[in-house]
Amino acid sequence: MDTKLNLEELNEKIIAMKSAAIELKKMANSFPAMERNLVRILASIKMLELNVSDLLPQNSPASSSRT
Amino acid sequence: MNHQQYWNPVLETLPQEEIRRIQLQKFRRIFKWAYENSRFHRRLYQEAGIKPEDIRSFDDIRHVPTVEKSMMRPIQRKDPFPYGDALCVPLEDVTEFRQTSGTTGQPVYQPDTWADWEWWAECWAYILWAQGYRPTDRVFIPFGYNVFVAFWAGHYGAEKIGCEVVPGGVLDTKARILKIQELRPTAMMATPTYVLGMADTARNKMGLDPSKMNINKITCAGEPGASIPSTKRRMEEAWGAKVYDHAGATEIGAWSYECTAQSGGLHVNEGFFLVEIIDLDTGQPIEEPGRQGKMVITALDRIAQPCIRFDSKDIIQWAEEPCECGRTFRLIKGGVIGRADDITKVKGVLLAPSAIEEVVRSIKGLSDEYEVIVDKKGDVDQITLKIELLPGYEAERERVEAELKDQLRVKTNLGYRLEFHEYGSLPRYEVKARRFKDLRKMH
Repeated sequence: MDTKLNLEELNEKIIAMKSAAIELKKMANSFPAMERNLVRILASIKMLELNVSDLLPQNSPASSSRT
Repeated sequence: MNHQQYWNPVLETLPQEEIRRIQLQKFRRIFKWAYENSRFHRRLYQEAGIKPEDIRSFDDIRHVPTVEKSMMRPIQRKDPFPYGDALCVPLEDVTEFRQTSGTTGQPVYQPDTWADWEWWAECWAYILWAQGYRPTDRVFIPFGYNVFVAFWAGHYGAEKIGCEVVPGGVLDTKARILKIQELRPTAMMATPTYVLGMADTARNKMGLDPSKMNINKITCAGEPGASIPSTKRRMEEAWGAKVYDHAGATEIGAWSYECTAQSGGLHVNEGFFLVEIIDLDTGQPIEEPGRQGKMVITALDRIAQPCIRFDSKDIIQWAEEPCECGRTFRLIKGGVIGRADDITKVKGVLLAPSAIEEVVRSIKGLSDEYEVIVDKKGDVDQITLKIELLPGYEAERERVEAELKDQLRVKTNLGYRLEFHEYGSLPRYEVKARRFKDLRKMH
């Protein structure tokens, strides 16, 4: 398995998921059922980042300054 | 490579240099986060003259001040209530409250966000996957589901893996055993004390054999027993199951785990934690295997109340050999050997309570329970060891006593006053046992 190639590909999808979730959360400010579920979705996306994105070197687009 | 063997087949098998690169990258991130969001951490680091941009290497990390549990208690008397100024997120982002058990004093409160809670479950997913838990497992958790974190996180970790989880909450020991008999779970999580206590209740009070109950693996937490060979053996024999250790703490997270290869140590989850071992005398870092020191640990991804260079007081040592499971996360040999607070000098000799447990539980005819009391007789230290003979072994008391004295002398270099108590009369514990009492400070 070409780990590096796969990680970068995986990471692109993770970034796209996160962007979509953040965008949805911004649109959900008077819609608790959306907002609170998106908090959970973003927490799960963070676990994907810990398992995939964080393994890429710092200069990769994955490794933002998020915490 | 069998990818199903690892929870994260990439991270758990990376070369050590890559792991170190990730750890440094993540340490810088969590340090910056704490500096910018926690008044306590910013004050601490400003006093030490360290800013986020100063952290460029592991040498720089070693200059970052450590944090001890005793520092957390005054912090938590400040605002915002009840956590104080180490809190890095708005109170409304906190979804979880837990607290330490208070074994070493006033409990410390631990806030977590939902992302932190996901992270707890993720740490446990690493543990349980490495110990052979799979979606086909039914897991029984005989735990009080209270303010203590350990098996809450185990519960969520098992769910994350896809196991079926049976919460054995507000049931007494007999009811829990009956529930195990009824549902035939394949796995269980409990403290070593309680694993042995349940087996004892099943055998001696209910006439049931726990080894026939279908449990094939047990994960222990809360006490070091599952890494003490004689205690592990007793649990494995009693339940006919593999017993695995893990180490974690409320303020840190679940930072290490034994895997199915059982190489005599625990893997540190080096993707999520940075573990440093510090020489107790010189304060210098220990990198080489086989030298004991105290653990200073950083949880690299926990955000509500960060754990950065936390002086845990746990005594650990790196193992010489890598584990045959293929994980590159380093092993700590023999798990957590003891706590710097518990390892005490008696008659000028260093005594670790775990060494006494190893002897007591290796002797046939003794029950699982014991109590150690260190006191002074005049100016001389005296250790009393209270033990119980199992029913049916009364006639072997002389043999047991001789073996016990002999083994204690060999393993701890100390002499003991032995007190035999009636079976069942020493205290039984459900969560963390307190079997070691040093009364010398009271004189």
